[in-house]
Amino acid sequence: MDLLDLARTQFAVTGGLHFLFVVLTLGMAPLVALMHTRWAMTGRPHHEAMTRFWGQIYVINYALGIVTGLVMEFQFGLAWSGLSHYAGDVFGAPLAMETLLAFFLESTFLGLWIFGWGRLPRWLHLACIWLVTLTAYASAFFIMLANSFLQNPAGSVARDGRLELVDFGALLTNKALVFSFPHVVAAGLFTGGMVLVGASAYMLRRRTEQVEFFTRSMRLGVVTAAIGVTFTMGFGYAQFAGVQDGKWDNTGAALALALMMEVGQLLGLVVLLVMLPLIRFLPRWRWAHPLLVAMTPLPFVLSIAGWVAREVGRQPWMVWGKLTVADAMTPGLTAGMVTASLAGFAGVLGLLAVVDYVLIARAIRRGPREPDLGAGVPGETRTPALSL
Amino acid sequence: MDVIWFAFFAVLLVGYFALEGFDLGVGVLLPVLGRTRDGRDRMVAAMAPYVLANEVWLVAVAGTLFGVYPALEGEVLFALYPVVVAMLLSWVLRDAGLWFRRRADGPGWRGFWDAMIAFGSLGLSFGWGMALYAAATGFTASPMHPMGLMLGMVVTLLFAWHGWTFLAWRTPGDFGAVRSGRALVVSGAVAALPVAGVLAGAMPYLVEHTVSAASLNVLSLMVLPFAPIMLGAQLWVWRTFRPGKDAFRLPSFF
Repeated sequence: MDLLDLARTQFAVTGGLHFLFVVLTLGMAPLVALMHTRWAMTGRPHHEAMTRFWGQIYVINYALGIVTGLVMEFQFGLAWSGLSHYAGDVFGAPLAMETLLAFFLESTFLGLWIFGWGRLPRWLHLACIWLVTLTAYASAFFIMLANSFLQNPAGSVARDGRLELVDFGALLTNKALVFSFPHVVAAGLFTGGMVLVGASAYMLRRRTEQVEFFTRSMRLGVVTAAIGVTFTMGFGYAQFAGVQDGKWDNTGAALALALMMEVGQLLGLVVLLVMLPLIRFLPRWRWAHPLLVAMTPLPFVLSIAGWVAREVGRQPWMVWGKLTVADAMTPGLTAGMVTASLAGFAGVLGLLAVVDYVLIARAIRRGPREPDLGAGVPGETRTPALSL
Repeated sequence: MDVIWFAFFAVLLVGYFALEGFDLGVGVLLPVLGRTRDGRDRMVAAMAPYVLANEVWLVAVAGTLFGVYPALEGEVLFALYPVVVAMLLSWVLRDAGLWFRRRADGPGWRGFWDAMIAFGSLGLSFGWGMALYAAATGFTASPMHPMGLMLGMVVTLLFAWHGWTFLAWRTPGDFGAVRSGRALVVSGAVAALPVAGVLAGAMPYLVEHTVSAASLNVLSLMVLPFAPIMLGAQLWVWRTFRPGKDAFRLPSFF
């Protein structure tokens, strides 16, 4: 591989790993917030159990979203400083808003939600998870805004060999953004729903004692996945109006697009025409559960395929029609530097990702009795933890 | 506007040193003060509610660097390439240690991630000293210069002292000492001294490289109105987890 391929691989690996965790975060955040809302309103133990169990899955997943995101943010400066030199005036603003505004608040409120259990008043504690959800979606919006500028550099003009921002409004109404952002959000909901379905199917198949818990979870998952997949497909088709000419001339991008659309539509049909109508019976049909478990990784594969289509299709441009990826590379970068950092990032983040998925699977298998999240709150009678 | 944004940038970076400094200090001290598993659990539980709110200051620093000083962002990070990569890996391992240490059973598991917290905190603290030295020389000197290594030691020791003060404030007596909130403010200010010095020296250079007025206006309109909310959220963290009755409880999520 030459230097450019190495640098691109490094970004693709960290970016791909990041999105695997982000897409589930986007899907689960509103679900956990809804569960918490019902708990706050009714005070029923069942809703508390739902909030703590699925909230724990959500935060374990979140950990990898954070650490992969840190590496992503700094990579722009390490390997792609040509982008900030040429387009920093335009591209820098949404990235700054994402980190300064959205993620800063998201991380602060998430800490309050996790550690404020039993300490914050009920409604303020609930407000925290809704604020986490809101700022997570704001983060996704700013990132999609920045990415859409790379696809279609609206709102800017080239002057003296650099891009200048002339119309921020045009960035907000970028034709590459208006349908891709809801597409990504809906894909997150679809993924979150399918994880609820898959995890519940696994536990019901294993004859868990918590039949009611996982029956309700599975139904919530099916409804969420149905809503998610409908909007994912709708906004997916709507996006074609905004796609650059010649994007699908790239074979890799065209293949990824075909995979996403073919498998996605098939999965959409299964969810809407089979799972949704059979929602009452599905939790009881044990023969169907292995199939539901096997479907769980598919939304993740499709999400990555979607990004491969969008990003590989942008090649060889960093900023479409303005700046090539080769020109955006940091001058002076050597193959040795990128190889060493690629090995470090891919090795460490890859291993941590595997560990994280094992921990999520383990948390699911332990079931809703005594999750770590919200444990140790005084004044509550609890059965002794199975293990500490 | 240039000066306001420099002030904003400086507050974020100094704030990161004063706040995340004690988390890293506690991490460095983990094998020193936390001889037993219970001791380490208490140390981690003491800092846990603050970590997410503290580390994010550096994320904001990097974002501001990109948005306000795009011409310098690549220059600074690239000049420090090996140090930045090592610091990022340290940060990642420290965070992974915190999130993972209690997610499975067995002394081996927790011991391994505790070691990652200590190792990551040490790498990140030491890296900051080296990076600050290189920045102070305008990136003409290698961070591996003996002075850089020495500053790495100094920053690590400052963070460790700040972390010790934090423990003495939040868990009075548990680790031998009792310190007031005022002492914590002082140790935070001292921990941030090295970075404040470098920032003061770099101010003219930074201001000169501010992004175009049009871009800065967009940022000002979008971000500055939310500054009180950001500050409020941070104060809420400090109010919620202040020491006192039931200051922290075990088991903690981290």
